[in-house]
Parts: sequence; structure tokens; C-alpha cells
Amino acid sequence: MNKINTLSRRGFLKSTGAVTGASLFRIGAPSLAAIAQAACTARDTAAPFATLGSDEARDIAAITARLIPTTDTPGAAEAGVVYFFDNVLGNYQAGFLGPVRSFRDDLNAGLDKAFADLTETEQDAALHRIENDPRFEAVRVLTIFGFFAMEKHGGNKGHVSWDLIGFKGHHGAWAPPFGYYDAEYAREQSDGE
Amino acid sequence: MASNVTFELDEAVDFAIVGSGSAGGIIAKELSTAGFKVVVFEQGPHRQAADFTHDEYSVIFESELLGGGPPVSGQTFRHDESDVATSPEFQPIRYAQTVGGSSVHFSANFWRFRESDFKERSMLGAIEGTNFTDWPITYDDIEPYYTRVEWEIGVSGAPGPFDSYRSKPFPMPPLPVKSSGVLMEKGAKKLGLHAQNQPHAILSQPFNGRSGCIHCGHCMMFGCEAGAKSSTLAAMIPLAEASGNCEIRDRSAVFRIETDGNGRASEVRYYDKDGNERSQKAKVVIVSANGAETSRLLLLSASERHPDGLANSSGFVGRNLMFNAHGAVDGVFAEQLNDYKSVQVSRVIHDFYETDEKRGFYGGGGIDARPLWAMTPIFHAIQGMPHDVPSWGKAWKDEIANNFTRQMTFAIGTTSLAMDRNNITLDPTSTDQWGRPAIRATYRDHDDDLATVGFLIRQAEALMDAAGAEKFWSHGVNLSNGGEHLLGTARMGDDPATSVVDRYHRSHDVPNLFICDGSSFVTSGRGQPTMTIMALAFRAAEHIAAAAKANEI
Repeated sequence: MNKINTLSRRGFLKSTGAVTGASLFRIGAPSLAAIAQAACTARDTAAPFATLGSDEARDIAAITARLIPTTDTPGAAEAGVVYFFDNVLGNYQAGFLGPVRSFRDDLNAGLDKAFADLTETEQDAALHRIENDPRFEAVRVLTIFGFFAMEKHGGNKGHVSWDLIGFKGHHGAWAPPFGYYDAEYAREQSDGE
Repeated sequence: MASNVTFELDEAVDFAIVGSGSAGGIIAKELSTAGFKVVVFEQGPHRQAADFTHDEYSVIFESELLGGGPPVSGQTFRHDESDVATSPEFQPIRYAQTVGGSSVHFSANFWRFRESDFKERSMLGAIEGTNFTDWPITYDDIEPYYTRVEWEIGVSGAPGPFDSYRSKPFPMPPLPVKSSGVLMEKGAKKLGLHAQNQPHAILSQPFNGRSGCIHCGHCMMFGCEAGAKSSTLAAMIPLAEASGNCEIRDRSAVFRIETDGNGRASEVRYYDKDGNERSQKAKVVIVSANGAETSRLLLLSASERHPDGLANSSGFVGRNLMFNAHGAVDGVFAEQLNDYKSVQVSRVIHDFYETDEKRGFYGGGGIDARPLWAMTPIFHAIQGMPHDVPSWGKAWKDEIANNFTRQMTFAIGTTSLAMDRNNITLDPTSTDQWGRPAIRATYRDHDDDLATVGFLIRQAEALMDAAGAEKFWSHGVNLSNGGEHLLGTARMGDDPATSVVDRYHRSHDVPNLFICDGSSFVTSGRGQPTMTIMALAFRAAEHIAAAAKANEI
């Protein structure tokens, strides 16, 4: 393996301590499968949340929807990222449940209505006020996880995130040409012969 | 899958091998097929190809193949001895805990070393404050084993303009060029550099009953679902098991090697899959647990006769740790590369491999073209975004939607100098899940290592520009905060005062204890060590088998 050791900006490694906390393997395949199935069922049927209270879930859904907004393409809302939070905060990211809750409390402190009921402009302003908080970074990273991780973890419904960026991860095998430049290269090589 | 043979704990097997990875897997296959009774200890489980997934979140961000990360391993890290090492959130010493070891999850970039790598000290002179020295062996000594690796493990490739000689062609052609490789070639031509085929321990076509690469794009950090990656799991372990002489004892964590009244290694003590203490008697012990685990085990095996750790009369066990320094320059192009498909690297530049005294510092390296972060979505989103883009909101979303398929990286791998200050020791307070003192790494790159990274970043930036990137950015020169290449910590040498094993991997102190893995390295190469680990393993196994047959162990 040859992973580059450069740190990300914005302190990802610092703020995601519990991310590496519990390996899926140690939880064991059967229970994992059950968890994943429950998460998918919950998302697909808009079922009640298992870990989050309904008000918490509304706010978290609203936060994630500003981090990865719906534009002319789907965002965190359509991907069901809040179901990823509900899933992992009750299981292998349980260490983040407290920080996520206190982050939401602090975000709501001083507001005259719930974060979820603010306008998008007001929501963005509220998030900008707190974006240097390490808990913001944790929520941001969890949102990225929920948006892009395989559907079985609770979010990324219908692979909307993969469609957005052009990643066809659900395909197994590929054959060349893989992209524009190697296709062009192959044409040039065959023209030259 | 259970091994088809099991050995009694109280009956001494011919060989107990600690570790099933790049070295251990090969030595196990060689000795068991030669008729010796072998038990291989692997602390991770015996996953098979079908157990490997594309689940990026679990594999990369839950450390699935690494065994669970710092809360489980307890590993600690510091830059300087004067600091108290702490447990970082991201595992500092990264190796796979699974049968086949890190050969399961590596990217399989597979260079040979050059003739110069083995004798740089003679060529360049001493470097003050370091333990820079020649290897006790030469390229001529190891070349036949490089060839064996290529033909027995399965390596795809084509010779490059700067390669040292080879006695036999590659057994199969290189993997197809990717868009990142084409762009590297374009940039290199403009700059008068040479973009050559990247050799891989990945099959470009069916070989030895295994299928060829399906270009699924999940090599780096993932296990290969097709069995096309030439891990020891795919290429060696099945042959060892088929011999009927080899038991792979997985989920078995070794914590001590006992020696008898004659100072010979006599048994291997370990925790079995249920956490119970067990002990396996053995005539010969071979440690191939990787440069960090091997050091820890030798240090844990201290006794009255070996107060500083087993095989450590030199004090060199754990010292001279070398990670290979790294750097990266990312670039975005106008059209889609789709570099998430297929293997990481298809072209590499070795023009800057050798030390050039005109630069004013020791060192050299390779620059390769690869997706790196653009391999998978989360990795890209967290590590691979341009530095001038907001980290959330519409602008962020637009950027990743455009860049994921259009981005690539020139990745830099370089030399590391061997020094006393960079080492593996036992953490005084932290333990792993089995209760063993945790691995503590202390590491600060040599100034020359960092200067080499800086030099190569400038070359990579020029290449990006020449390749026509619309936008590119560097990740800068950073101190290593951990590594996957675990080299130098039980180095080979002729002098027992300054090395741990001899040129055939026999420990200077304990005649029936052999040590073979990345720890045997004397210098670091340029960032792709696994080919050399495997070649050393074939060579060691040949000598160990011959010595055993001659009753010379």
C-alpha cells in the first residue's frame, strides 16, 4: 500500500477520533447484516428513527442538507444521510452521539425556532458561525460518509451521490479504455500503425 | 477455511513462522513444499477473496483490514524521544491483519531495487548522524530471486530504461495504460523525462490457475476479490496448504518467543482465537511479522540471557525505522480520466531515482501517475479536494461533481535514511487488545528526506503543467506521521555489533532464530519495498531449507 501521508486540511484526523473506534469485522457479519438491513428498511420506508429523537433527526437532516445541498442534482436530503447518522450513531460511531447532540444544542441555542425551521439563508449563517468548532467537522465528515458510503450503511439511497460524481462503484469489472485520454491514446496508436 | 493439517502443541514442528504476509507466506510455501512441518501464526483471520468488498467506509474508515485501528492496537506515535507518545486517531503503523498480511491490501506497485541501492554508502560516502551503510548482499545476489518472484508470484510489466539487468523477461505484459499514465507520458515527453510502464504484482492475464485483473479499481487498501493481486494469500498460501505440511493458525497473536537453557529458541507463545494462552514447540523459529511487529516481539521476548530483547545484543532491534517519505501533487483536467477504474498506477518516472550530488542532499525517488484520492468517493471528498474550495455547500458539491472523474495525482515515493532516533519501542503504558505492550513509533524524517520530497514536488508540478492540467496543487512537504513501509528495524549485516541478522537472515545471537521481512532492509529503496521483501524471502527460504537438511541449524 502506498497511501500518502499528508494530512487533510480542517483537521479531519483530529476530529474523527472515534471513526476508527470499532471495526465492522469485530462486530461480526451477522449482526452487521442485520444493522445494515434495518438501516435500509428505515430509510426506504421513512420509518421512525432508532437512535435519534424525531426533533434531532429533523435538525440533522436540515444540517446535512445545507452541507450537501439539493440543487439541480440530489443532495444529502435525497440520499437519506440522516438515516446513516441514525444507524452509525447507534452502533460503530456511538462515540459521536454525544458530540453531535451537543453540537445541535449549541446550534439551536439563541434561536427562536428550531434550526430545521429556519430559511436556508439563516441556516447557512448559523452554520458559518460554528464552522470552526471541531464538532462541525465531525458532522461534516459523517455527512460525507453518509452521502457516499454504500447504501447498506443507511444513506446514499439509489446511489444518488455516485451518480452525481460519476463513480460507478456498483459495477465490478471494467475494460479499457477507461477515460478520454487513454481512449484518444489508443486511437493515435492504431492510426500510427 | 481450516488448514488441512493440525500440529500438536507439545510436539516440536520443524518451523514456527510468525506472520503470513509477503515474507512469511513465501517462506511457509517454500519450506512446507520441501517437506518440512510448518505452523504459520497470523493474528488476523483467514479471509478469502470472496470476503473482500468495495465497502470504502468499512475498509478505509473503519480500519477493517487493519484490525480496528488505534483503540484496538493501542499504537502510539511521537516525533521525538523527548515527547510522550500519544495514540493518534488514525493508525500510525498501518498493516493488514489477515492471512497474507499487507500483501492483501497493498497497491501492488512492484519495482525491483537497482544495483546502486545495495551499495550507496560506497558510492556516496558516509552521512553524518545516520547509520547509512551498504547491504551485505548485492543486486547479483538477489537478482535470481527477483526473477523467481516475478514468475512464481505473478508480476506484470515491461522493462524500463533505467532498470538494472534481468535474467528473464516478465512473465506477462503490463496492465493497460490509464488516462493518468497517458497524461504523465505527455508531460514527460515535453520535459525530456521517461514515463515507463509500472510493474505490478497483479496479473494482466490468467496465470498459474488464477484469473487476470478485472480492473475493478479497488487495489489500494482493499483486498482483491478476483484473486488477481499476487498477495501471498492468492499465490503462496494455497500451495503451502496443499503440501499437507503447513498449518495456517489464524487469529493467533504471538506474544513471546521462549529460549531454552542452551540459548536456542524453543517455543512460540501466543493467544489463540478465544484469547487463551498457548505455546507451540518448534525446532526453528522464523519471525516475519513486519518491521514493527517483529521488533515488538523480539523486545517482548527479553529474558535473563537476552535482557534487551531477543537477538538484540547489538541494540539494533527496532532502530533504523524507515517509512519512505511521500509527497503528492493533484491536478484536474478538462476531460474525464475515470481513473477510479483499474489499478492505481500505469506509468512511473524514474529519472530522479539516483542521488545527484548537485542537488546538495542525499536521496531520490519515483513519481507515479494515479488516481490516489480519486480512487473512491469518501477518500476524494475528505483528502482530495482543491485547497481553495469551501468545505461544504453548493460550491463544494459542484467541485466534487466535476473533479472526481477528472482528477489525478502525481505521487512521490522517496528514500528514508536509517537513524537511531527513528525506531519502534514498547509503549510503557498503552496495550493492545491482547494486553501486549503497544507498538510505539518515534520518527522524524531526516532533512535530506524532506529535501528530496520538496525537490520531487517541484518536478511533479512541472509535469502537471506540461501534461496540461487546468489546475493543480501540492500537498506540501510534511513530516511523516506514520507509515505502511516498515523497514530497517532488524537490519542484515556481517557485523554482529551493527546488525541483527546475517546475510541469510539468521540472527547473530540465536542460531535457530531467523528474521525476514521489511525489518531486514539496510536502506529504504525509493518507496516500493514489497518486491524486495518477497525476493529476500525466497532467498532466505532456500538457505534455511539447505541448512536444515544439512543439520546446520
